[in-house]
Amino acid sequence: MTTINMLAWWQWAVLAAVPPAILLLYFLKLRRTSKQVPSTYLWRKAIDDRHVNSLWQRLRSNVLLLLQLLLVALAMLALLRPGFSGSELIGDRFIFLIDTSASMSSTDVQPSRLAEAQRRAGELIEQMAAGDLAMIISFSDVAMVQQAFTDDRRELQRQLSLIRPTNRATVLSEALGVAAGLANSLRAAHSDSGADDESAEKIGSEPATIYILSDGKFPDVTGMTLANLTPVFVPIGNPLAANVGITAIGSQARDSQDPPQVFGRLENFGPQDISADVELHRDNSLFDTKLVELKAHSSGGVVFEPGEMRAGAIELRIRPGGALALDDRAWTVIDPPRPANVLVVTPGNDALSLALNTERARQLADVEIAEPDFLETKDYQDQAAAGHYRLVIYDQCQPKQMPQANTLFIGRLPPLESWTGEGRILAPQIVDVDTAHPLMQLIDLGNVKFAEALALKPPGGGTVLVSTDQGPLLAIAPRDSFEDAVLGGEIVGRTDGGQQFANSDWPLRLSFPVFFLNALGYLGGAETGGLSVQPGQPVTLRAAGPAESLIVRTPGGASSVLRRGPGEPFRFTATDELGVYTVSEAGQPPRHFVVNLLDSAESDIRPRTDIRIGHETVHGQASWRGARSELWKPLLGLALAVLCLEWYIWVHRQPSK
Amino acid sequence: MAMSTSPDALLSPQLMAQLERLELVSRKVFRGRLKGERRSTRKGQSVEFADFRNYVHGDDLRFVDWNTYARLDRLFLKLFFEEEDLHFYALIDESDSMRFGTPAKLRFAQQLAAALGFIGLIRGDHVRIETVGQPVARTTPTFRGRQSVWRMVEHLSAIEAGGTTALAAGVKNFCLRNPGKGVVVLMSDLMDKQGYTEALKYLLARRMDVYVIQILSPEELAPDLQGDLQLVDSEDGDIAEITVSGPLLKHYHDTLAAFVATAREFCTRRGMTYLLADSRTPVEQLVSHYLRERGLVR
Repeated sequence: MTTINMLAWWQWAVLAAVPPAILLLYFLKLRRTSKQVPSTYLWRKAIDDRHVNSLWQRLRSNVLLLLQLLLVALAMLALLRPGFSGSELIGDRFIFLIDTSASMSSTDVQPSRLAEAQRRAGELIEQMAAGDLAMIISFSDVAMVQQAFTDDRRELQRQLSLIRPTNRATVLSEALGVAAGLANSLRAAHSDSGADDESAEKIGSEPATIYILSDGKFPDVTGMTLANLTPVFVPIGNPLAANVGITAIGSQARDSQDPPQVFGRLENFGPQDISADVELHRDNSLFDTKLVELKAHSSGGVVFEPGEMRAGAIELRIRPGGALALDDRAWTVIDPPRPANVLVVTPGNDALSLALNTERARQLADVEIAEPDFLETKDYQDQAAAGHYRLVIYDQCQPKQMPQANTLFIGRLPPLESWTGEGRILAPQIVDVDTAHPLMQLIDLGNVKFAEALALKPPGGGTVLVSTDQGPLLAIAPRDSFEDAVLGGEIVGRTDGGQQFANSDWPLRLSFPVFFLNALGYLGGAETGGLSVQPGQPVTLRAAGPAESLIVRTPGGASSVLRRGPGEPFRFTATDELGVYTVSEAGQPPRHFVVNLLDSAESDIRPRTDIRIGHETVHGQASWRGARSELWKPLLGLALAVLCLEWYIWVHRQPSK
Repeated sequence: MAMSTSPDALLSPQLMAQLERLELVSRKVFRGRLKGERRSTRKGQSVEFADFRNYVHGDDLRFVDWNTYARLDRLFLKLFFEEEDLHFYALIDESDSMRFGTPAKLRFAQQLAAALGFIGLIRGDHVRIETVGQPVARTTPTFRGRQSVWRMVEHLSAIEAGGTTALAAGVKNFCLRNPGKGVVVLMSDLMDKQGYTEALKYLLARRMDVYVIQILSPEELAPDLQGDLQLVDSEDGDIAEITVSGPLLKHYHDTLAAFVATAREFCTRRGMTYLLADSRTPVEQLVSHYLRERGLVR
């Protein structure tokens, strides 16, 4: 049996003074009821014989006094919190990291892993001694400080109970960073909670223990040392938990006239072979079902043809889905292809104009061709800043500022310091094409020649799509939420005298219009399938028209109005809910985007037995010793019973009037 | 004379009907002053034959048995038992302590004295009702004959608790007032802190036929007390602080039993009759059962 001290020394001193005070009061002011009797003759003889007024006799015969002393003794014992076999806390400062990611919603541990984590953390908090400090941080892919360092166990328990599960992925490093930062600097937070200077000093100098209550479905934390923080990993979950999840979904039409096909990828993370029903729902009504056999720890695919549909939401459901329900449903939307606004700024390029004027290109984009002078106009500047264009192609020219759009530069560099050239190269020979990139799909440049070009040096994060023997010719690099593709060589050039000449024979090749179709499709963003993001990821939305606000309705039915700053696209961040989100814009048909879990790491709910933080491997606690068997409640109950007994005796000792 | 039948009456008609069959008995035969219904050791005039004796000169010829003379030709005198009256004293303790009890001990003593007095009166005995607190100079009337019953009852009813005289002094006064012999019934709780033995010795010295009836109330026999108490003596205001507990109550009972046993032994050794009476006991039961057993009445 162990005890936990709940009081400071001075509080004990006050409590210890109570029994002597009771005794003192008893002897100082013993209240006797006066009663007249015929004669005290016999009583006098009786008490003389018994020496009833001796100290011991007084004490022994006074049940009420003994009961009062017993009551105080029981209260003191209860304050020592005796108990049996609980997990022992290490140290006197604790940080509880509670995993709230999607996998913590698994029900292999009843009622859920998060509830189990909360229960265990609650048990640990209950074992804190007086003066111990604790902090609670919940984390998924972001960390949130639920409660800064405090010694108030009730507040800690309250904040612990307020933690709710999320649908997000798991990243431990951020939570550890927050914990390490707060543990070593949060003196102010504690002093706010009323602690004295002594305990505030303790925060700044003493080590702390981090209890990580998680299923471990996060990448190992590298490049981080915990210094004076001691990690303790409490794995939550059943190692034999079975789960089947949808880890990918997509829809695509072979041709614009063909009905779309819906693809789903299913993974079985359990140790048993299973057969599951996969249902396809079209606009919330069951349309088709297929039976899928999945071996243990394997994956499989399923293809549906939902029939002719121009627009709508498609949902895949899998039954039975195992312990995690979040990955049993996935959505995709088919929106009518919306032609992208594409601006081509060129002093004149017939080949380019022809390539962007094919029937397929007209389906994908509304192409607007302008002279370079247009770049100086206010119309252009406003529309470029407002994100009116999905793609701007700068042929033989460059803007002063980059537009809020994807760009394709032909023969010029973007006006950005990050893009540089490595000098002009003559007759470069194309040696490599990255056909894996969507922009280069079905492109063969083996027979394409350029007379002169600029060897590119893309910025960090950029990808070289076409390499020549003398340097990169075509590269693409991200810029904020956009991508900039740069072709180092002009297709047609102009002499100083304004004479147009052909710099390349690419327009003669079949790959030329295909490349620009890819550019319209990829950089123009005209996709038939709607946008799919993971929970918590921000979504950048573009208005089809010059709208200043959009209305986004979540799957739960909540609506929020998005507004944008000047020259900025709309950003929507409240994507924690899984399902189909509807975007309404004045004068435009509604559009959709979906939030799907689609995360193999979260769907694979087998808990890890150990985790790595920096160079340290933290082994999970093999067995949970459970909560302490607390004795203070029965002790207090006993004290209450003693109090009732004392009251009963006192009442029945009162002489009848 | 109209008889009271109220509940407060010391003598109920039913009780009187029961008592009429009884008579007081003395183990000692005393010389009475008046001719009574009680056989005396003295031979005298009555209807009960006792013995013969030779005639001597001067004897009353009326008592000569002439039939014997006719047969034997000798003069014999027939002797008859003399019948005398009996002096019965009821000595009641009227101290404050007798006020207590349910029913009160004094009330019980009054009822008992009335019952015994009634028996004496209807048998022609002298009955005197005395109290312990009575001074020497004050004498009480002697009741005799059935016609005195209600005077005696009135006299008894007038007795109230409140005397402060110690038991020994009171009994001494009684002895001084009543030099004659007879049957005395002392009705007291004997709870005198100076002791009761001296008082009883005074009675013994008078060679009286002494009956000691110790009257205790239920509250004294089985006290129902709880808690921390300050017991105040009703007579002298003495205070005893007690904390009632099981052991203390047991000790009290032991003390009481020892007290009663001592009194009983004291009386028995000296030829007195001792009787412990609970004030709840019905008087008729006490008289017709317990006192009959002990020979005071028959």
